[in-house]
Amino acid sequence: MRLLKTLIPGDIAAGLMLTGKYFGKVFFSANRKKVRAHLKHFTQEYPEIPVRLAPRFRGRLTLLKDEQGEIKCVCCLACEKICPTQVITIEKGKMEGRKMPYPVRYDFEMERCIFCEFCVESCGFDSIILNHQFELAAYNREDFSLGMEGLGQNMFAPSPVGKYSVAED
Amino acid sequence: MPPMTLLQTIAMGLIQIVAVLIVVFIMVPLLTFAERKVIGYAQVRLGATRTAGGRKGFTASLNRGMWAMGKVPVLSFFRGLPVFVADAVKLITKEDIIPAKADRAVFTLAPILSVVAAFGVFSAIAYYPGVMFYMPKSWPLIGGLPFNGAIADVNVGLLFILGLASVGVYGIVLGAWASNSKYPLLGGLRSAAQIVSYEVPLTLSLLPAVILAGTLNFKDMSVILSTGQGMSPLAVIPLFIGFFIYTTCGFAETNRVPFDLPEAETELVAGFHTEYSGMKFGFFYLAEYANMIVVSCLATAFFFGGYYLLPFGLQRIIPASVPFLGHPSFLFFMAKVSLLLFVFIWVRATLPRYRYDQLMDVGWKYLIPLSLVNLFIAAVIRYAF
Ligand code: SF4
Ligand code: SF4
Repeated sequence: MRLLKTLIPGDIAAGLMLTGKYFGKVFFSANRKKVRAHLKHFTQEYPEIPVRLAPRFRGRLTLLKDEQGEIKCVCCLACEKICPTQVITIEKGKMEGRKMPYPVRYDFEMERCIFCEFCVESCGFDSIILNHQFELAAYNREDFSLGMEGLGQNMFAPSPVGKYSVAED
Repeated sequence: MPPMTLLQTIAMGLIQIVAVLIVVFIMVPLLTFAERKVIGYAQVRLGATRTAGGRKGFTASLNRGMWAMGKVPVLSFFRGLPVFVADAVKLITKEDIIPAKADRAVFTLAPILSVVAAFGVFSAIAYYPGVMFYMPKSWPLIGGLPFNGAIADVNVGLLFILGLASVGVYGIVLGAWASNSKYPLLGGLRSAAQIVSYEVPLTLSLLPAVILAGTLNFKDMSVILSTGQGMSPLAVIPLFIGFFIYTTCGFAETNRVPFDLPEAETELVAGFHTEYSGMKFGFFYLAEYANMIVVSCLATAFFFGGYYLLPFGLQRIIPASVPFLGHPSFLFFMAKVSLLLFVFIWVRATLPRYRYDQLMDVGWKYLIPLSLVNLFIAAVIRYAF
């Protein structure tokens, strides 16, 4: 029995069958359809087609607004305290007709952010998230200082694509 | 036809050599590309789809164009193809470093030896039995001369091939020794031990074919073994077993995964070619792939049906009167060689490397007894049936 097992390398054949099966699957599906769901391989052809990210992907920090278009943040400063690299700076303020405090300034220096998502977890008001933006490279240091004002570095924009992104064109 | 003059013989020989070299030099880069692709597909990814370059560059534009059109089948398989041009350019233009304490003459000689041994074998391989085609009548000097299926129809072709193929190991051992460095030396020692052990079952596995065919001429052997003329139908058994033994030893002879111990990068950096760079390394690389082609050619010719459709001497099922399928064809030969090359890559995508003692075990305790048994079976079949 042992001899037969030695003579006929069944495990090698099984391994070859497995890789052969995958080869066939990918070979016959790789170029046929453009729809991702039909593709059998895991390669993402990134610059040409947008990447599919996992839902829990941690991208750039974003401030959220509620249905009335008001900033959800209430300046409890929990995120500022917990941030290990201390890149969040919040200035409290008051607004007419609003009981809760209102952030006059909410600065975020992305150059030192480590995308740990502690800030989002500590926020009891669900007023910030890390969005799915990952093309964050820029040529100037100033481009990494995000705030509540400004066009390119606006904290509210849902997912502004990076300034020098490939996916832009 | 009048006998050829010396000049005509030389001219025809040169033409055939150039033709074979061109085919080999096209096949080797294609093989490296196929290797990327096949291993990629087997590992559920796409392999090479682009070559380095800006996003305004050639391959990037090609990629964008393809995606804009929706993918174009067939063409899309070859998107990474320019990689081999990049590979070749890189190898040729790279700085050629010779270590200060290396033995310069031997260091230079080793890759040359490797590549010459690998390419020399192609001269004795017959790609088609007999004359492939005749040169056009109107050409000067060589008009009307036959273009043979083999460069040299050597009478003891098999011996010539085995002898020349085992010269290749000198390239590895000498290169390893001349590098004057630990890791190449260890790789070279391993390679010597490995090839010495595997030469035995390799040759023993070819002997059943020789016994059954009764000749050493490459072309005659191939034709007899695949058509099965004068052979008992039982001859399928030793040929079948011999095929597996031969390909296994072929993997070891060409230093391919799972027997690529001479270049085991986890233990030996890169093995015997650690100190090599530039085109010298390119020669080793070229020799490895040329050796793969040689092993595939031999396995095809002796066991896998050669120029005929069916392998293992089963061709007798199809009578010679059937058009195309019943006749020898260069296409069948090339298709089978390609199939075996695919198997080489397929195995590489599947199996991990053997440990050194396992490698020796497989060689001495398993393959040699098996090939001896196979030899016995073949002898019995030859004389009893
Ligand atoms: S993700 Fe981490 S480092 Fe970045 S702002 Fe939030 S807490 Fe600070
Ligand atoms: S934890 Fe949330 S609510 Fe509190 S300051 Fe930070 S963002 Fe605003």
